[in-house]
Amino acid sequence: MKKTLSILAPLAVVGVVIGFTFAMTAPIDAYQGIFQKTMYVHVPSAWLAYISFAVTLIASIGYLAKKDLRWDRIAASSAEMGVFFTGLALMTGMIWGRPVWGTFWDWGDARLVLTALMFIVYLGYLALRRSIAEPTTRARRSAVFGIVAFVQIPLVHFSVSWWRTLHQQATVLRPETLTGAADAPIDPLMLRALMVNLLAFTLVYATFMVARVWIAKLEDEREERHALENIEIAGAAISAPDFDGGFDD
Amino acid sequence: MTAAEFWRQVFEIARKDLKVEGRAGEVLSITVPFGAVALLLLPMAIGTEKTMLAKIGPGMFFGVTLLFGMLVAFRQSASDTQAQRELLTLLGIDPAATFVGRSFASALLLLVFEVILAPLTVILYNPPLVDGWPWMLLIILLVALGLAFVGTLAGAVTAGVRTRSTLAPLLVAPLSVPLLISSSQVYEGLRLGRSIIPWIVLLLAMNLALAVVGVATAKPLEETSR
Repeated sequence: MKKTLSILAPLAVVGVVIGFTFAMTAPIDAYQGIFQKTMYVHVPSAWLAYISFAVTLIASIGYLAKKDLRWDRIAASSAEMGVFFTGLALMTGMIWGRPVWGTFWDWGDARLVLTALMFIVYLGYLALRRSIAEPTTRARRSAVFGIVAFVQIPLVHFSVSWWRTLHQQATVLRPETLTGAADAPIDPLMLRALMVNLLAFTLVYATFMVARVWIAKLEDEREERHALENIEIAGAAISAPDFDGGFDD
Repeated sequence: MTAAEFWRQVFEIARKDLKVEGRAGEVLSITVPFGAVALLLLPMAIGTEKTMLAKIGPGMFFGVTLLFGMLVAFRQSASDTQAQRELLTLLGIDPAATFVGRSFASALLLLVFEVILAPLTVILYNPPLVDGWPWMLLIILLVALGLAFVGTLAGAVTAGVRTRSTLAPLLVAPLSVPLLISSSQVYEGLRLGRSIIPWIVLLLAMNLALAVVGVATAKPLEETSR
């Protein structure tokens, strides 16, 4: 893992620097001005949140199928990353919303409200993990909840299509954008900057995932060692009789 | 195990849970009055303007159902002891049958909760009677079933956990939101003459997904509760 980290970490740093450069040099939006730049953090954060929770789902299924704690460590680490990225997406969304929508928070916006709920669901997942000390019980129950929690993700994703509210509809995954048509809803230079930032964020996710899984493995090993050190040895309570003055021959 | 044996176990588990409820009478004597109090208190907090109350009435009903229905859904798993769970295992009860039986019993109790509170909502909030209102009967049933599935799952996930009483609602409340949204949107759809089919499909899909996950994960969850 050390070797993987030593490759991934510098790549992530370089990716972020390049992503920042592309974001700053991309054209400024005619209507939203400089505030549109938050898109280069907001959109990759939201996508990475989905990816993180999808990884949690797959790893949870993997754990239930294989009963291997490695899957549990991946599920837990990815959920933590997902919560971080969801929080970041919410924060940047609100920072952008104030000047553009005129409000930090809009109850009528389905995407915003459902994303906040998704954030709470996975906070619940992390709270559940903290509440159970025994590793196998924790892993199994978290795996079940990791699967149940994913049920609402399609609702969050498709909310912009199902409800016509403030949040704009999908931009990148639209046929016009994918085919590079003239009426695409995003400028090609902005799209390029967004894709570079998505790649940079993915590298950041991968780096933190490898590091977090490694830390989780070390934590598990420490817990195991601790449990072995404190284990009671059979017969430990029995001590040799102590006769004052010793035995008389 | 044959399908007939499985459903017999489901029936017996549901019967047992309903018998326990019959003796304790917790839902009828505590949870329903508690829900009614919530319906009475809310207008005092947000204002008593009649048009507004008529508009928000159905949403309040489903909100109260979800929040107080959680108490109904957790009730059975909260009263379970380790010995009772072990006895079910020793009797060879399929964990999936336990999950389905428990969910059905909870759904029935939730249905009772809803059937009592629905007329009370109509009396207190006076929402307009919409064309096609019988659809709401189906929605009430699907909400009860969905909430029962989520509650039973959360009850199993948090069984024996020290922080159970606070953790379980935290897990269930956000997961029940699709039920709340769909049920409210069906009423709105009927009121405004819009299509309600997508929302019914969403409710059905949610119920199906929860039932499949619950049945598939019943065995590993049961193993952790021993």
